[in-house]
Amino acid sequence: MTTVKLAGAMEAQRERLLPCVHCGFCLPACPTYNRLGDENDSPRGRLHLMQAVVEGRLDPESDAFQVHIDRCLGCRACEPVCPSGVEYGTLLELARETSSNARPPDPLTRGLLRVMASRMLREILFLGGRALRVMGLASAMVSVLGRIRFAGKLRFALAMLSATRRSVRLGQGIMAAGMEPQDTETKITHAPRVGVGSVGILRGCVQDGLYRRVNDATARTLDVNGYDVRAVTRQDCCGALHAHGGALTAARNLATRNIKAFERAGVDWVVVSAAGCGATMKEYGVLFEGDPMEERARAFSAKVRDVSELLAETGPRSGASVDCALAYDHPCHLMHAQGITSEPLKVLEAVPGVEVRVIAKADECCGGAGIYGMTHPDLGSRIGGDKIAAVRDVGADLVCTPNPGCMMQIGAGFCLEGDVQEVVHPVEVLDESYQRAGYYR
Amino acid sequence: MTQTLTSRVADRLRAIVGDDQVITHPDRLVAYESDGLTAYRVVPRAVVLPETTDQVSEVLRVMHDEGIDVVPRGAGTGLSGGALPTPDGVIVGTARMNRILSINEQNRLARVQTGVVNARLTEATAPYGLYYAPDPASQSTCTLGGNVAENSGGPHCLKYGVTSRYVTGLTVVMADGEVVRLGGAGLEAVHGLDLVGLFVGSEGCFGIATEIEVRLLPKVESIRTLLGIFDTMEAAGHAVTDIIGSGLMPAAVEIVDNATIVAVEASVFSAGYPVDAGAALVVEFDGTEAGLDDDADRAEQCCLSAGATKVIRATSDEERIALWKGRKKAFGAMGRIAPDLLVQDATVPRTRLPEVLARITEIGREYDLKIANVFHAGDGNLHPNILFDRQNQEELERVEKASREIMTLCVSVGGTITGEHGVGVDKRAYMPLVYNDVEMDMLRSVRRVFDPDGRLNPGKVVQ
Repeated sequence: MTTVKLAGAMEAQRERLLPCVHCGFCLPACPTYNRLGDENDSPRGRLHLMQAVVEGRLDPESDAFQVHIDRCLGCRACEPVCPSGVEYGTLLELARETSSNARPPDPLTRGLLRVMASRMLREILFLGGRALRVMGLASAMVSVLGRIRFAGKLRFALAMLSATRRSVRLGQGIMAAGMEPQDTETKITHAPRVGVGSVGILRGCVQDGLYRRVNDATARTLDVNGYDVRAVTRQDCCGALHAHGGALTAARNLATRNIKAFERAGVDWVVVSAAGCGATMKEYGVLFEGDPMEERARAFSAKVRDVSELLAETGPRSGASVDCALAYDHPCHLMHAQGITSEPLKVLEAVPGVEVRVIAKADECCGGAGIYGMTHPDLGSRIGGDKIAAVRDVGADLVCTPNPGCMMQIGAGFCLEGDVQEVVHPVEVLDESYQRAGYYR
Repeated sequence: MTQTLTSRVADRLRAIVGDDQVITHPDRLVAYESDGLTAYRVVPRAVVLPETTDQVSEVLRVMHDEGIDVVPRGAGTGLSGGALPTPDGVIVGTARMNRILSINEQNRLARVQTGVVNARLTEATAPYGLYYAPDPASQSTCTLGGNVAENSGGPHCLKYGVTSRYVTGLTVVMADGEVVRLGGAGLEAVHGLDLVGLFVGSEGCFGIATEIEVRLLPKVESIRTLLGIFDTMEAAGHAVTDIIGSGLMPAAVEIVDNATIVAVEASVFSAGYPVDAGAALVVEFDGTEAGLDDDADRAEQCCLSAGATKVIRATSDEERIALWKGRKKAFGAMGRIAPDLLVQDATVPRTRLPEVLARITEIGREYDLKIANVFHAGDGNLHPNILFDRQNQEELERVEKASREIMTLCVSVGGTITGEHGVGVDKRAYMPLVYNDVEMDMLRSVRRVFDPDGRLNPGKVVQ
């Protein structure tokens, strides 16, 4: 029977499911359970559904499995509070694979994953995106589409796009707004080495397409802090979006390209400025479990660092004053998946004049979760709306959070409410401070 | 076999609480088949998730009209199977009833909906310098409604008492949907026969408490926490007897045994207990700053003279929280040792602890079962955790036999069959160990006063 065959991927995970003793400590950490109150929308309930599939009591094609596994944000807030150490994130990816084998995901998700897996398609998409973004065209369309029914998904996508614009407030430094510096990795004048190693930067898919300035700021700030930043060619998307969606084969293909590219570059550290990518790359070893690539993947994962980890390690060096108040939010894939909370704040502390206001419930997901706002408009907007309210409560000039997905989600939330709220990555703030200090001359 | 709800009944329920808040498809009911006690599984007939007292009342009226059993459920963290479904019954889940209704700073009272999580009340009252005292190990997730049903305790109930001491008023929906208000606006409001006191600990058999008024306490000024490491459980037991016997009034006295230490240290909640210790004893004092150091010194002396190999004092809040984490998250950490876990709960006179523990170890050996002990040593409340694998039917039978022997043992030394987890389904069979026929009849009669048809949480506590 097909049920048994489809449950195969889950079946192999019997051992991973066993540690759950049903204690329920994960319930209050779960954004979907907190809002819906249904056990099926809690981590414990989803693990129970996975267990039922393994036991052959539940068909992976059933609505129960499909809907509730799909409805998970994948924020992994349940992991740090689990006393039994259940690897929920890994189990979720496998459950998604089982689920999408049983019933293909929606065309939007499939299309997006396809585009992200191809460098060429990605280039075209982001070229179009950048064209729409200039002159505020995207945000203008958001307000026009607000009056048209059934335009919800497109409107949300445009709001996300408009949120990726460079901060005008922050960019009043040396660099002219809108000019994206190219290949900075090879052009910076090097600061004195303090012997902390060579780094290669994962440029990513969305990050490279819409947040190139964050990648560039990462390179420049690391350089100032004594890291030897080297260009790594033939790298690709990290595969996080694919893994989260259960497209594990596609994720492994992308991962393989990256492992090879960074091996060739021979760098000490693989640096990421996107929390979601970092979390996935630190778990490449698990992605390749039982595969001939496993050992190389584990070696690669051991070298992965979030940019804030490396910067915090060195201090980082202080720059010139940037006077602004920042509303800070913890990305789930930094806080819950990687256990990183203080490092980005340490980066911001190095900037005189910056006042950091950590928002209420900064440990809760913003509702970004890939394209959750488009696939789950109702629940997504409730979760996103709560985050926007928490940001408004602290009344800061800029929002600051170190992950592109969260940056877009929060910016889009404001845009949909008819407001403009600039969102920046911590290294952009540090970079601005360094520019004003003249470190790049 | 579970029978599904007729569409007519389901439609009536949907009209009350909304479409998404009524779950009837068998696939979506599987997740509700167990609470925190996974040794039992029963798929319910349906699940209803109301948000207000009025909705609960209307739902129960439908159940009354249709003659359908009702099983109330909070966070589903109970350890005696109190929220275990019945095959013909409908679960009324309170997860969506999670609003704090009012905090009265002057009178130190709070009024909450039943699904509010215990620890959230303390968080919400902290800005007023207040807190909610009962602190079950599951306080970060269990609901106050569940606490009322089970009359929950916790490590600090040694000094501060259990849930019943804090509940001053209840709004209760009865089996026929009738709404009654018991007590309210402080302890003094209870006149005549104490129905609030009677209701607390009724394990979902008397009605569904939808709103709860509780007493809050002012936050304690200072805390001292000690950890004593012992080679043997017996030595730790003697230290407890000495501490209490010396006239000290600790806020909490907790012991974990070697098997538990090993599990906790292997988990993310590692608290730095030495994994080769026979037992670890946590002693906490709280109150006004003056005199606390003296209390802690005296307790430390008691530990050392009972044979402690080491006594550590928490010097910061972080260290104190870490020490407690090791104890409070012990249950979940057991998941690392075995797939299933039966957390037993019994109480014995404090002075009999060492011999009872020695005998429990023997019982574990006789039945070839791994038993890890965690307990509130100050009030003699034992939690032997029996580890097993549900897939192994033969082992499951040994678990039941060992449980029964442990219960019989505890009763034989003058103790009882539960300390704080309630009777539920798991302890029902042991009730005759502590109640004679006349007493059992009294229990049944009281239950009938509240629920004449026996439709609320049937099969729990007493048949």
